Amino acid sequence: MRSLLDFLAKQAHVLLFILLEALSLLLLFGLNDRQRLAFMTSANRLSGTVLEWRARVESYIGLKGENERLLTENAYLRERLLSLSDSLELERVSQGESVFTVARVIDNSVRKDDNFITIDKGRSDGVDQGMGVFDSRGVIGVVEVAGSHYSVVLPVLNSKSSISCKVSGSSSIGFLEWRGGDPYRAMVNDMPYHTVVSPGDTIVTSGYSSAFPENIPVGVVERVEQQRMSYTLAVTVSLFVDMSDLRWVYVNTMKPDSELEELEGPE
Amino acid sequence: MSFLKKTGTMAGLVLLQVLFLNRISLFGYVTPLFYLWFIVRFDSSMSRYSMLLWGFVTGLAVDFFTGTPGLNAASATLAAMFQPAMVKLFLSKDRREVIIPGRASMGAGPFAGYIFLMTMLHHSAYFLLRSIPLEDWVVITAKIVFSTLLTFIAMLAVGYSADKPNQRRSI
Repeated sequence: MRSLLDFLAKQAHVLLFILLEALSLLLLFGLNDRQRLAFMTSANRLSGTVLEWRARVESYIGLKGENERLLTENAYLRERLLSLSDSLELERVSQGESVFTVARVIDNSVRKDDNFITIDKGRSDGVDQGMGVFDSRGVIGVVEVAGSHYSVVLPVLNSKSSISCKVSGSSSIGFLEWRGGDPYRAMVNDMPYHTVVSPGDTIVTSGYSSAFPENIPVGVVERVEQQRMSYTLAVTVSLFVDMSDLRWVYVNTMKPDSELEELEGPE
Repeated sequence: MSFLKKTGTMAGLVLLQVLFLNRISLFGYVTPLFYLWFIVRFDSSMSRYSMLLWGFVTGLAVDFFTGTPGLNAASATLAAMFQPAMVKLFLSKDRREVIIPGRASMGAGPFAGYIFLMTMLHHSAYFLLRSIPLEDWVVITAKIVFSTLLTFIAMLAVGYSADKPNQRRSI
């Protein structure tokens, strides 16, 4: 008996080990998605600040490429400006508020099965859940959780992401989804069977959800497969945005039409 | 090592991990988890309790930045639990003096064996837990093997320059 007690006393650290492991596993598997996101970096002050330092340093490293991209975008926008100035009267008049908020990407992953992006703007900057995020190249994702100064974005490269899009110039829509693996390709599913689409066509956002305005570029069609069971097309898309190289993004902070919201109801 | 010095080392390694190393992703899958170095260097005078607690806190600190609550905490606690046994395994004879596992105190060969096993244990736990449900065994195995090798090489390099031979500490 005595030696048994001695033995137990000697091995008491095993109890602590079991306790700590149980706690870890509880954290790992016991939290639901929302709780995990809340734990996560971002909405959190300390880790947000630290990750921001890193983003700042890294933004210098990529300055040249970033400049080139902005110049390209500038050129494109000028071109658009010219071609649109005629039809401008028909366009909706801007209400004087800025429509897009610029944010810096402070954390990002592309290699996990469910990736997340953290940006340095939150509710105090007008960023809220459900808002679309894109950059000069195209669609990136949708805000999942907005903290007061930081937000977590659910990017295209997340199995839970689903973004309404269409073939440029047509009106039949599908949903942009991703099943893990290749960070440069995604699928557009549920596109009607009769849609005219072939490799080389451009996929853009549909504008049917309030997250994105219409015609934000998504990617180029690589392959079209017919799903005989469901009479839909499965389209493989090569994404315009290199998700591993994100620095500055736009958040679509335009308030959705309240009447439209009401009709659609909470998702 | 004093509490403050330990906290500093831990904070340094955690920051190195989350700010820099987590960005490395060779061939898409291979990431060094060098923060394990903190646990590898636990000296033999530490109590089992404090080893476990330090290991847990280190892992949790990394988790805090990577948004994976519990993942690094679980694997680091496991590494801290088996650290003393691993040291013993590679020490030629029972040593009474307090040692910090390293090239100087253990010899180059045994130290290499020791860090290899420690890395293997920690990385296996890490990638297995991270990949649940375990579907693609080839990918998981590749992640474990190549990440272990990368961390191992990094530790060898640091261990080689960290302490010169014949600088044995004893109390």
